[in-house]
Amino acid sequence: MTLLDRPLRDQAATIAAGEADAGELLEATLARIEERNQALNAVVETFPERSREMLAAAPRGPLHGVPIVIKDEWPLPWRAQRFGAAEMLAPSAPGESGPYRALRDAGAVVVGVGNMHELGSGSTGNVSFYGPASNPWNLERCPGGSSSGPASAVAARLVAGAVGADGVGSIRYPAAYCGLTGLKPTFGRSAMAGHHMADYSTMIVSGPLCADAADARLLGSVLCGEELAAGEARGLRIGVVRDLVSEDVAPDVRAACESAIATLAETSGGELVEIELPDLDASALAGVLIANTEGMNGISPEKLNNLNPELSPLGRGLLKYRMLLPAAATVKAAQVRALMRQRVAALFDRVDLIAWPSVPAVAPPLEAPLVELPSGVTTADQANVRGGALANLTGIPAISLPVGLSEGLPIGLQLQAAWGRDALLLDAAEALERANGREWVEALPPLAAAESAEA
Amino acid sequence: MGDSNRADEFIPAALASLGVEADEIELAVIGAAHAMFWPPILELYAFDTSAATPEPRPDLSQPPAAR
Repeated sequence: MTLLDRPLRDQAATIAAGEADAGELLEATLARIEERNQALNAVVETFPERSREMLAAAPRGPLHGVPIVIKDEWPLPWRAQRFGAAEMLAPSAPGESGPYRALRDAGAVVVGVGNMHELGSGSTGNVSFYGPASNPWNLERCPGGSSSGPASAVAARLVAGAVGADGVGSIRYPAAYCGLTGLKPTFGRSAMAGHHMADYSTMIVSGPLCADAADARLLGSVLCGEELAAGEARGLRIGVVRDLVSEDVAPDVRAACESAIATLAETSGGELVEIELPDLDASALAGVLIANTEGMNGISPEKLNNLNPELSPLGRGLLKYRMLLPAAATVKAAQVRALMRQRVAALFDRVDLIAWPSVPAVAPPLEAPLVELPSGVTTADQANVRGGALANLTGIPAISLPVGLSEGLPIGLQLQAAWGRDALLLDAAEALERANGREWVEALPPLAAAESAEA
Repeated sequence: MGDSNRADEFIPAALASLGVEADEIELAVIGAAHAMFWPPILELYAFDTSAATPEPRPDLSQPPAAR
């Protein structure tokens, strides 16, 4: 196995020990992107000279010499973010974003910019100014969104780690669709400076997308500027909800998640606790309303009448619809937020984790992102937000980790913990990986597996 | 009057009052979004949140002060 195919932590450790040349890893990564990205469209831009300069100046930090992809949501010193859109309706200019600084100071090398769902407004990744990214497990399927490119890039082993952003599930959905471990840190914990909504979003955080929890811990610690220290996941009290979020789920997904939850409880010497968390639909709507209205900062009718014609018709229509959302509904959404925060806080007195599927069905087709659930066929966006919005609405950390395959496509389990217990999520994910013999974190999509076997 | 008729009137009127123009495709998208969002928004208005202690400026990085 080449160094490029090894975990992020192995890349860092091997370079730190002087057993591999970081320059060779960078060139191999650029060659891998060149070779595989045509089919994926995961990486929308590379800048080899900038990356080489970054490596030449890289300090001996925890990610010294390790190539990383960053989502098209933050500026770089040499490139303004585009937010996956022909026009992002907010000022953007090249600059040092918080995630960029965190990566640079850790010695990492930004090797490319990851594709994303246009304006961050979808859970599938099937709409983008650059054209959609593909899911490496099946190129005709959605990679998830909005961090579509970062997830696709890591799943196809273009890089071992990528930085995403999560405003309403946007790290966890693509992690689930692509078979990765994706962490949405506690609100405010990870680097966000330089994001065009950093000063007024109450929903968005940066976070890592990696193959497994140990890598997510390493990259997540860099983004959080503090160690997400490893501990033992012992005696976990895992809260399970008997509700649409866990029951209106495709049968294979439900079975794999229930099995994983039971395994985690058993392996940690813990227990399953049936809990009630009503009104998740209202919670999801509240999250969507808050995210959509916060995203309207600085938008005027005049701007809407002069949209770049290269914005997708869907994007143009949704932007204009946001203007019609009533302020009273947003006020009500804030009240729902308060209610759900209090309910969730009370639950975390009784349980350590709340678990349910990250998404209720595996990655849908790019052409028609619909999913079939026991309740019927619905859009993936409508289905996904049910379980994805709570963590953003309340501020708690959440993680998606792979727990199986169905139709050759990954299944993701979501774990949520109390504020500040991000490390516990990683501990639990690692415990489950061990219990499963690392079967799902080491599973490779066909595109990556064939060449890995040859290497 | 049916819901779709109400939307047919509401959307063009609301856009016009804001001075926002929309072409046929955009109107179709707006109509679909409205059909998806409006019924749950109406339910949201009826949703009882009186049990919640207000959090006018919540610190999302921390649990709420009130339980």
